[in-house]
Amino acid sequence: MENISESPAPRPTRSPAGKTLDFLSGFGLATALLLLLGLLTWFATLEQIDNGLHATLNKYFHWKAWYLFPEINGKMVPLPLPGGYWVGAMLLLNLTLGGVIRIRKGWKHAGNLISHLGIILMLVAGGVAHHFSEHGNMLVREGSTNDTAVDFFEYTVEIAEIKDANPSSIHVIRGASLDNLTEGKSRIFRLPNLPFDLEISGYLTHAMPVAVNERAPARGERDADGYYLLNLPPKIKAEENTAACYARVVNHDGTKSAPFILAGAAFQPFTLRHGDRVFTVDMCKRVWPMPFTVKLDQFTAEFHPGTMKPSKFVSKITRIENGGEAKVTISMNEPMRYEGLTFFQASYDQSGKTMASVFEVVRNPADKWPEYSLYVVAFGMLVTFLTKFGGFVAASTRKNRHV
Amino acid sequence: MSDKKSHAGRRIAAALAVAGLAAVFYQVVADNMPKGEVRQIEGYTPWAEETITAAETLPVQDGGRVKPLATYAGFTMLGLHGARSMKIEIPGKEEITLKPVPWMLDVLFRPRLAVQQPTFRVDNSAALEAIGVKPRGKRDRYSYADIESSREKLNELSQSYAKIEKEKRDPLQNQILDLEANVRTYESLLGYFSFARFGVSMQGSAEGGGEDKRADLSAMMFATTTPEIRKQIDQSRSGGAPVDPRLENLIGQVVDASNLAKHGLMILPPGYPLDKTWKSAGNAIMEVVDGTAKDPKTSIEDISALESLARSINTDEAAFRGELVSFNQKATQRATARNEGKKIGLEATYYRKNWFLYALVFFLMGSVAALGMGAFGKNTAGRVCFWITLTSSVAGLAYCVIAITMRCVIMWRPPIGNLYDTVVFIAAAVVLLSLVIEWLVPRRFALGIAPVLGALLIVLARRFELGDAKDHMDPLVAVLNSNYWLTIHVITITLGYSAGLLGAFLSTGYVLMRGLDLDEGDEALRRALTRVVYGMICFTSFLSLVGTVLGGIWANDSWGRFWGWDPKENGALLIVLWTLSILHARLGGFLREWGLHLASVFTAIVVTFSWWHVNFLGVGLHDYGLTSNKDTIWTFYRCMAAILLFGFCSMMNEKFRPKPHVAPDDKG
Repeated sequence: MENISESPAPRPTRSPAGKTLDFLSGFGLATALLLLLGLLTWFATLEQIDNGLHATLNKYFHWKAWYLFPEINGKMVPLPLPGGYWVGAMLLLNLTLGGVIRIRKGWKHAGNLISHLGIILMLVAGGVAHHFSEHGNMLVREGSTNDTAVDFFEYTVEIAEIKDANPSSIHVIRGASLDNLTEGKSRIFRLPNLPFDLEISGYLTHAMPVAVNERAPARGERDADGYYLLNLPPKIKAEENTAACYARVVNHDGTKSAPFILAGAAFQPFTLRHGDRVFTVDMCKRVWPMPFTVKLDQFTAEFHPGTMKPSKFVSKITRIENGGEAKVTISMNEPMRYEGLTFFQASYDQSGKTMASVFEVVRNPADKWPEYSLYVVAFGMLVTFLTKFGGFVAASTRKNRHV
Repeated sequence: MSDKKSHAGRRIAAALAVAGLAAVFYQVVADNMPKGEVRQIEGYTPWAEETITAAETLPVQDGGRVKPLATYAGFTMLGLHGARSMKIEIPGKEEITLKPVPWMLDVLFRPRLAVQQPTFRVDNSAALEAIGVKPRGKRDRYSYADIESSREKLNELSQSYAKIEKEKRDPLQNQILDLEANVRTYESLLGYFSFARFGVSMQGSAEGGGEDKRADLSAMMFATTTPEIRKQIDQSRSGGAPVDPRLENLIGQVVDASNLAKHGLMILPPGYPLDKTWKSAGNAIMEVVDGTAKDPKTSIEDISALESLARSINTDEAAFRGELVSFNQKATQRATARNEGKKIGLEATYYRKNWFLYALVFFLMGSVAALGMGAFGKNTAGRVCFWITLTSSVAGLAYCVIAITMRCVIMWRPPIGNLYDTVVFIAAAVVLLSLVIEWLVPRRFALGIAPVLGALLIVLARRFELGDAKDHMDPLVAVLNSNYWLTIHVITITLGYSAGLLGAFLSTGYVLMRGLDLDEGDEALRRALTRVVYGMICFTSFLSLVGTVLGGIWANDSWGRFWGWDPKENGALLIVLWTLSILHARLGGFLREWGLHLASVFTAIVVTFSWWHVNFLGVGLHDYGLTSNKDTIWTFYRCMAAILLFGFCSMMNEKFRPKPHVAPDDKG
């Protein structure tokens, strides 16, 4: 009898598109992306010790960071890694394709499907928070009111006309338009209702104005009215950076004024006259108007007896809006959520005559999404875990019965 | 051939296990046995047990809560002496072991004897050479009497080193600063009752050329409340009319006495109900003399009672005990009226019973029995060892659970609030999980590992407590003051650590068994172990993910952001990402048995980084400013790396080893 060996059925050839889809939805890519995210997280954890959190996050997870070289103890590691934002985006794609669309359907895999949907919601929440959330802080003294918060990081240029000793018609140039105007780059900002425009150049993240006759420029820095901007290494706590830039008034006839310095470290704004009108130009942290006013009625800081260990921070406030008032208590772990804004008890200040409470103010459209996603993920994982565990116990019981 | 190999493997494994157990045993002994030669103390009389019992429940406010003197004494002794016991010898009599409460009683009430006790642990003799004290050995313990003559030099050096930035100080400078701080703490206790022992001298009261008469400080305090003397004191303070120089001298003595008793024991519950901070004797004296006391009568009575207590030691111990019991009762009644110190009795019992030490003893017994269980197999001796391992593990677990429960009741919060709590909780959780696995998969490997891990973790807890020397039952800072979140987030995360570590150690067992051929090729055992480890990775992944997101939700409520890239948060995320990548790699067929176990062993490194290492980084909201035990982490990493390397080599060896030729006749 002839020995006939049966060769396995040939696999149907996949088109390039099919192969790409297989790759994008595959376990291999998922594993690689998870490992890459882990590696990025580990390096970012170590690097924030030397470079601070804000700078490290920008380096590792900003959408502009396509690739990076990590640093440990200030030394570069010769290992190029893809930017975390794009690894996350790829993971989202992989999860959607492999974990939702192409996953085997059925009761056995229901748990995994639910978990993947929850994780997608979580990643989307992260993306929404990354792009659309705003953070700032508001200091209010006891008995006083405040209706603005100040951004932690964003420096803006504010141009205001002074009328009757008060600023009016304020124009604001946001930080996103400024921070790429580094040395050698400039941009003219049109100010429609004002008799001039403004040219900004030489933006520095952390700098201070120095008088030329005090300390001569060492790197050929520009001289503006006897001062130049000394570039400083960014602070580990990025909120302590003081941004600065050079500016010039551009008249509508095309002529330009001498350059002047705008600095976050300056105590006073730059004042300029145009005809008989007076304007101030200032570089300051972005002022964020609130849709209501907050009055601090009472702030209490309690410490565990005999120690400086805080036990409780409580702010009793009145929220004033459209003539109406509402009494609210804000404390640690119990923020105030209202009109899309959340007020958290952040810290306090006792340097003045009265106590002041500091609130962190956040607008995050995805505020509660992670919580909802957790319920979905936990439910899905629980279903998977119980299914597997049930099978495991049943198998063990059968086995033990046979022993 | 195979037999020879398996015996060699077993011998190596047994030797490693014995060496490991010996190392643990050494740590236990080293923690409990004092170093250096035993000091002889002339005229020392041990305190009666009744006196110690009366003293240990004396309420003291410290670290933001009211606790028994036993706790205060225990942590003070641990900080200064580096152990909770001290051996001394009475010349011509026996050696005795001083526990924290008798040691504290000596320091407070018998300072002449206390200064001879070897209280100060010095780990680097160079610190002593620097201040001009002749060292005894590289590491030893010294008495206050040994150091006293160099006190000025110590002070001078520490003042100059304190000006140097913390990060720039060398280890010797840190040692000297620590020694100075310890000596200062000791002095605040040593001189605490000076006011009671010596009273005040009445200048110009001597008769017939003798010494000036002495008066009780409490009497002087009473005198300051009389309108006439009050007026003179106020005049003196405001720089007005000059006061009688004798009164000036008396006030000076009172201020000195109150300064000596200002720090240390906050032993007097305030009479005024809204005052939350208890008073030291020095505070009480000063407030009355200043005229700021809200309840001067009670303060004067308190100081008078403390004078009687301190002087009664000169009569006999029974008299002292009587005064001590009376003072304790009064203080306890006042604390109870203020709704404070309700758990003092329970806390004193907790420390007296030393639950974790007994748990450790049971776990060590279980570890030895587990070794026997592995060596003897399933014969009678093996079965006996099995039952001893099981019983010891359950007993050790029970002791852990009792201790953790007592801590919860005392602190009135969930079991985990700091790093120490996590260690003991993980010890209990790992043993419990192992026992559950043994119940589900009765192959003995989970049971065998339970007491070993229990013992290692309890040793770790003891070492951490020794290095930190802080009371880990003190209240939490405001942001952690949420029982709801502490319960659900912290416990979930910590259970994730437990599951990850257990899975990693089970895989370590797998790697050693298979690499050393201890399992004699038992495929069923390997498969069972692989299934359990896979289950543990799933469990770790589930708990870590849920715990991490819960932490994010808590952070969102507390600080306004779901994710802040804090090292602790990142550490938890690393566990999630690592375990998820293992699961996906397994599902994708990239990891088989060896790969799964090697990845699982690496989980121990990831968990250790998240659980311990991030606390040393010096950044973030979870930075505890820890410096001790950092070397232990690196030793652990090296051990796990060695196991990974061994496993990898064994895997390669298996892969490339020529398959044994099987003759056709042998098939059947």
